[in-house]
Formats: sequence, structure tokens, C-alpha cells
Amino acid sequence: MGVDPLLQGLVAGFAAEAQEVCQKVTMDLLDLERGVLDTEGLTKAYQRLGRYLHTLKGSAASLGLQDLSEIAHKLEDALAPLRASVQQMPRPVVDVLLHGLDIFMLRVHAHADGRGDSLPDYTAALAQLVTEAPAPEPGASPAAASPAASATAPAAPAAAPAPAKPAKPVTLGPSTATATAAMEGGRDETHGETSEGAGWRVSSRQVTTLMREVERLREVRLRMEERFRELEKVVALLARQGLLAETAEARTLLSGVGRAMRSDGEETADIVDALEEGLKAITTRPVRTILEPLQRMVRDLSRQLGKEARLSVVGAEVSLDRRLLEKLNGALVHLLRNAADHGLEAPAERERTGKHHEGALTLRIEQQGNLLFLEASDDGRGIDVKSVRQMAEFRGLASSEELGRMNDNQIRDLIFRPGFSTRTDVTDTSGRGVGLDAVRAAVETLQGRIEVASTLGQGTRFMLTLPVELGSSPVLQVKVFDQEMGLPMLAVEATQLTKMSALRVTRRRAQLEYQGQMLPVVDLGARLGLRAAHMPSEGQPLMVISAGGKRVALAVDAVVGDRDLVIRPLPAEVRDVPAYQGAATLSRGELMLILRPSWLVSEPATQAASAPQHRRALVVDDSLTARALHRAMLEAGGFVVHLASSGKRALDRLQTDSYDVVICDLEMEEMDGEEFIRTVRERPDTRELPVILVSTHESGRERGRAAGADDFLSKRDCAEGQLLKVVMDVMSRRGGRS
Amino acid sequence: MKGTPRPPEEAQEGELRDLLPRLPDEAQEQEVRELLEERAKRLRGLDQSDASREDAVLLVAEFPLGEERYALPLEALRAALPLRMVTPVPLSSPHVIGVLRFQGQVLAALSLASLLGGHGWRQDPAVLLVVDRGDGELCAVDCEAIPRPIGVPVSAVEAARARSEGAIIEVLFGAQPGQQQLVHLIDPARLFMRGGAGARHGR
Repeated sequence: MGVDPLLQGLVAGFAAEAQEVCQKVTMDLLDLERGVLDTEGLTKAYQRLGRYLHTLKGSAASLGLQDLSEIAHKLEDALAPLRASVQQMPRPVVDVLLHGLDIFMLRVHAHADGRGDSLPDYTAALAQLVTEAPAPEPGASPAAASPAASATAPAAPAAAPAPAKPAKPVTLGPSTATATAAMEGGRDETHGETSEGAGWRVSSRQVTTLMREVERLREVRLRMEERFRELEKVVALLARQGLLAETAEARTLLSGVGRAMRSDGEETADIVDALEEGLKAITTRPVRTILEPLQRMVRDLSRQLGKEARLSVVGAEVSLDRRLLEKLNGALVHLLRNAADHGLEAPAERERTGKHHEGALTLRIEQQGNLLFLEASDDGRGIDVKSVRQMAEFRGLASSEELGRMNDNQIRDLIFRPGFSTRTDVTDTSGRGVGLDAVRAAVETLQGRIEVASTLGQGTRFMLTLPVELGSSPVLQVKVFDQEMGLPMLAVEATQLTKMSALRVTRRRAQLEYQGQMLPVVDLGARLGLRAAHMPSEGQPLMVISAGGKRVALAVDAVVGDRDLVIRPLPAEVRDVPAYQGAATLSRGELMLILRPSWLVSEPATQAASAPQHRRALVVDDSLTARALHRAMLEAGGFVVHLASSGKRALDRLQTDSYDVVICDLEMEEMDGEEFIRTVRERPDTRELPVILVSTHESGRERGRAAGADDFLSKRDCAEGQLLKVVMDVMSRRGGRS
Repeated sequence: MKGTPRPPEEAQEGELRDLLPRLPDEAQEQEVRELLEERAKRLRGLDQSDASREDAVLLVAEFPLGEERYALPLEALRAALPLRMVTPVPLSSPHVIGVLRFQGQVLAALSLASLLGGHGWRQDPAVLLVVDRGDGELCAVDCEAIPRPIGVPVSAVEAARARSEGAIIEVLFGAQPGQQQLVHLIDPARLFMRGGAGARHGR
């Protein structure tokens, strides 16, 4: 059946739409089969399915694709009785509908590729669909069985009666399912080139060059912002020179130029953001696009093997380099097939050993900086080291002497050797010894590594670590003091505002009751050494962070929002700081550090640093370098140092923390050192606090003294190494703990 | 030019021309000629001394640090940026000021004073110098102001290297003994390889 040449261009678009809709239908069917939905969920799922199938039918008909329209119609018919009495969908009906979708999509792609004429008569496909419709399952309730039977009846009055024996389940062989899945995955990549005729073939080098240019554009935008600030300074200078009248026209003109420049800068920022988003869309795609077809594969394969399995995916929203995903797809298929075949036990065996009859397969994906961690696990029988040892010897992969010298981990690693299989017979699924060695080869091709961990009787975990250049991850932006930090969304289990009534507070620690568990409350500011630990206050945001089986309640100052960000690796100088996994660029070009969840949930190793016997200093300076230098000097002198970038922020700190000495810069925005010291001296609780004023200009000495500073240091004095000496002198004079 | 005797008519014309104000093109031509002659003279001088290694210079970016003068080889310098958009990294080493973005890369901004074991600058640094660490990686160090490029005789550098193998070598150079200058030349590869121990290297 051919397509009107005038409509051929539209068919390609329809194919993409149909692919997406069929994927959604598949996911809904799998949910309906599992019985995980409540009545409301079931109703909505059936409604969605009805809409999806109707859309497919309508779109196909509008393009004159009569065969597709009728297949969709038949699928609607099969669904109709179930929609009337909302219930879990019987497995045979799911089989019919999935099979129907496969036929539908195969024909869609044939039409899109211009092969519609060579397709077999669609009535044959319809007949095949109807004759394979199952009879009610033995033991199934009439209510559950009848819809399936009735579903097929009106569709094909001429169809043969349902067979008396239990119907052969409609299973796509794993190879077919895999092929379908692979084909579906592959379609996305090649579709634009083969069918639409509107795509471009570009090399990765061209794209990365474009990315670098976008980076440059962002830097140009930042320079524009700098120019604007300089222009503002010029205007201010002209207004200060006592030449107000003479420079009025020039100032007006300059202000106009400045406004235009700011507007241009904002527009450039929008363009840069749009370009980056566009590039991200071109180069990456969410992992779920390759994982969703795997759900179907697991379902079909486990049925074929007489097992029950459910695949759970964690981290499907992570976006990765398309090239990497394409290569990973095959490895994931192998791992899951291996888990379903070798790992999971049959339902009866599982129940005998106290497990749920349905086996659990889990895929977990996490991106940390420039590394991707992918874990495929099952709760099956685990790897029997003894059996692996025997088989390795039997297959001649290692001598008994060699095997004798190996520990359990080394024995387990033998499963990655070419030719290794614990099966003695060859089945459709396994036994040829090709599988895990192919997975390892694929991972190594990507410069990654694969490891396996297993506990006999409890399950197996395959852990893949791969380097990634591109890709983004969802990140929750939080604030601690004036610094923003990112939390990988994958690790954020819940967010809530502190209710003191929900906390169990002792003298030294607080715990949050969460889902029947007591979680330690961790103050992020204190954990990062930015302040002394303190109890969370009413209404303060708390994040439940989970990593490696541990959970904590993390107290932050504010939650900014969530974003999808590209996480870049940190430079060598800070790579070893365990608190961070990378940094991401925010819209203005500044970097935000991304916290490492495993560090957040770990026990703080630097407990001693915040112990009360340490002297504590607060450095107040708007210069990042001055703060770094003073901190280095004071830490070398045994102080615990906290930092503030203005007088105002320092006052905030003094309200919650206590210090032995304050080192304060004179010239600062927001609140200068003079005003800060006056305020400190006015407050009863800080009146006696030793404060040293620091300034570039010697003239600051008098101003400091007048404001109430204990001493003064010029930057030159600091450069000569006077800071620590003066700090000790002042503390001694004030009767501190020096 | 004025040494060659001219015929009387030509001399008269020449004197007249000297009395008349020169046209802009002529004035420019004259200046260009003088400039070219000056350059030719310098090149002849170089040629005469056979451009020996004694006269070859190492171009460096020189800047003050505290009371002393420091320099980085110009070939290691990649850019000078205003010191802003640096994100502090809590829990990092004391010599780390923070991280920043440069041409799509994340770089560490380091306190040069702290790295060299100094105590501070005379005024707050306003500039970051992006430097090749010597292993192909870049990092940024702070600086009071944009450094000025100067030439340091290679012979003086080699003599200093013979005395010290550290990351910082003291190079003494200058024509007259009373007018000699001292500059602390930083070897980025050695400085960053040894990390920020906080001690003065090469002393």
C-alpha cells in the first residue's frame, strides 16, 4: 500500500509521533498489567490508552494510511470492554495489544521509508492479530477473562473460535523484542536522515567547535557587563568633578549608551542560554529513551523464561551524550538478559526461599562530574563461585593451579572471559558464552570499567564506570550564607521545612524523625567549615539526602530551585576535596559547586576542627584574595577561621557564632569596617570583642581608632607578616584565650 | 645625508625647501626614514656582536609581590583577567582562592602570595593571570595589577639557574653595578609540581 507522494513528507513526521505515542501506550500497558495502579490510576490509564489509540487511528487515516488506521481501530476495540469495567489488564490482552503495536510500528516505519508498497496485505496482519488473541487464562476470573475474549470477537467475526487449550502466550522472542527495542532506539538517531530528509549529518568536531564558540560568546557577554560597569563609573566621575552643567549632555549620552549596552548584554545572555540549550538537545538525550524499551524486553523475556521480573530505573532523567547512549544500549540489554536468565529464580523457587515471587531488576544511573556510574542489579540467586570455578576449568579458561591461587573476586571476574557460560545447553537466551565479555569489551571501548559484586542467594550487582564529556543532570540549588551549592537531585529524597516538634534535640545533636527512622540533622554551613554547628531553626529548609544506603537531614539556609546542569570536573588543585563532585556553570557564567552526596552522609572527619578549645577568628573582607591570605595565616597559627564578605554579613555571623578575634577590612560595600566596628561596640554581647582593622591606606588608622578598633594593620604590614603577631597582642590585651 | 656637497642650484633649492614649512606627507616620510634608520642601526649592532647568547633576552611578565619583584615567563602566560566571578571552595587548601571558568574549562584560582609562602599583597589583587602550569593544564594566580613585559638577559637567567634549582630563582641583571635589578623568576612547572606547600621555593 503506497502513500500519496504529496503526503510522503508528512508520513515521516507521523512516524516520529507514532513512535512516541506507542512508547507511552507500552508504558501504560505494563503498568496496567502489573496491577500497581489504584482505581483512579486505572481509570486514568485506560482513558489515556483510549486517547492514544484514537490519535494513532486519526492521524493515520488523515494521511491515507488505511492499514494503520484499521489496526489502531482493532486495538481500540480490544480495549473498549476493559474501559467499561476498570480493572487490572489480563496478561493475554496486554500481549495482544503489545503485539498489535509492534505490527503497527513496523508498518509505520515501512511507510516512512517508502516501502509501503512492499508490505504484506494488512488484512493478513489483522487476522494474525486476532487469531493470536488468547482465550481466558485457566483459573482467571470470568470478569478478567471475558473482556479479552469479547475484545477480539467483534473485531473479526470471521475469526476462528478461541482454542480450547490454554493459548500460547503471544511473546515476541527476546531476539525479536530486542531487535524491536534496538530498532526503536536506533530510529531516533537515523530517522531524520533517512526519512525526513530534513536533517544534517555533522561531525562531532563541528559540534564541539560550535560549543567552544558559544563559550566564547558567553565570555564576550561577561566583558560587556564589565564595560557597562566601567561606563557607569565614568558617568559617576563626571558628575563628581564639579562639572555638572558642562558634562550634562555627555552624561546623558553615556547613560543612554549604558542602558543600551545593558539591554544588549541581557539579550546576548538569552541567546547564549538558548544556544547552549540547543546544543545540549542536539548532543544529548535522556537515558530514559533507551531504558523505556528495556521494560518491554524484560517483560517479554521473563515470560518466555517462565519467570516474573520487574525492572526499576533510578536516574532515568539524566541526559547523556547520544553517542555514549547508543553504545551503552547493547551493554544494558546484555546485562538485563543475563540477570533475567541466570540471576532470577523461577517464582516458585523464589517463594521457597522467602523472596517475593516477582524478581527485582534495578538500573541506577548517576553522573558525578565527568564520570557516569551505572549499576545493574538483581535480587536473584547470586553468583556461585564454586560453580564458576568448575565451569572455568571445564571450559579450559584457567588451570586448576591458577584457579587455586584466585580469590573469590578473581573467580567472579572469570564471567567476563570470552567463551564463559555456566550453561551446558544453548538456549535462545544464553549458553553461547557471548554476553558479559561483549559487555566488558563495549565498556572498555568507552574507556570505562566494569566490576561485579555478588552475594550467594541474595543477588548480583554489575557496576559500570564510564567517563562522560557531555550530559546534564538535575540539580537542586541551595544556599548557605551567600554561596550557592548544588545537590544532585538523585540523592534528594525529600525536602521539608523544619518543624521543631518533628525534631529530637539533645544537647549536642538534632535528629529528624522521617519514615520511622531517626536521621541525624547536618548543618551544611558547619559541615563546610563556614560556621559553627547550630540547631536548625523553625522553618529552615531540610533536605533528606540518601546515598549508599545512608540518610541524613541536611539543613540549608535557602532552596533556590532545581535546574538541569552540565557538571564539569574540578581542576587538579581541588579535585581531592571530597565534598564536591564537580562544578556547573550558572546563567551569568559563575560556577556553582556540586556537592557529593556520599560525603554529605558520611561521618565528619574533622570533628576536632570545630572543637571548643580552638581559637576562633572571623575575617571580614570583600576581597576574596585577602580573605584567603588572612585565613591561611590564621589557620597556620591554630585558629578556626570563618569568613564574611561585608560588615553586614559579619554582624549576622556574630549573632549566631562567637569569636575570639575579628579582622576587618575598612573599605567594603554594603557596610564598611568603620560602621561595623561602631555597631560591634554598641552591642553589649560584642562590646569587648577584639577587633583589628586592616586597610590599604594608612589614613585608616585614625578612623579605626575613633570607631573603637583595638589595633590597625596596613596591607603592607600584613604583607610583612605582622598579622598573627598583632592578633595575639590584641587578644592578650583584651584577656582572650591566647 | 648632509655630508655630500651639492651643486649651487640644487643647494639653493635645498635651502629654500628647508625654509618652507614641510607638508604633512613629507614630515611623515622623514619620520619613517629616521625610524627605519634607527632600526637598521640597531640590527647592525646586533649583527656585529653576532647576536650572542649574552644579549639574548627572556621575555617575562614582571609584577610586584609585597616588597619584591616577581616575574613569570611570558610564554607561560595565557591571559590576564579581572579578578571576579571566582567561586570560593570551602574546605580546600589555604592557597586556593576558588574556581572560575575560562574558555569552557574550570580553573583553580590560587593565591600566589600564599603559594610562595608570602603573607600578603600591598593592595588587594585585582587581576588573575592564567598560567600554563607546565603540564598542559591551566590555572590562575592572583596579582596586584596587570604585569608589565620586560626582557631579562638569558645569560643572567642561566647564571641564576646555576646557583639554584628551585621553583623561584633570583635573577640579577642590569648594565651598571649600581643600577642592577633583582627579579624573582618563577618556574611554573616546578612551582605547581611541588604544590602549594606554603614554603618559599628555591630559597
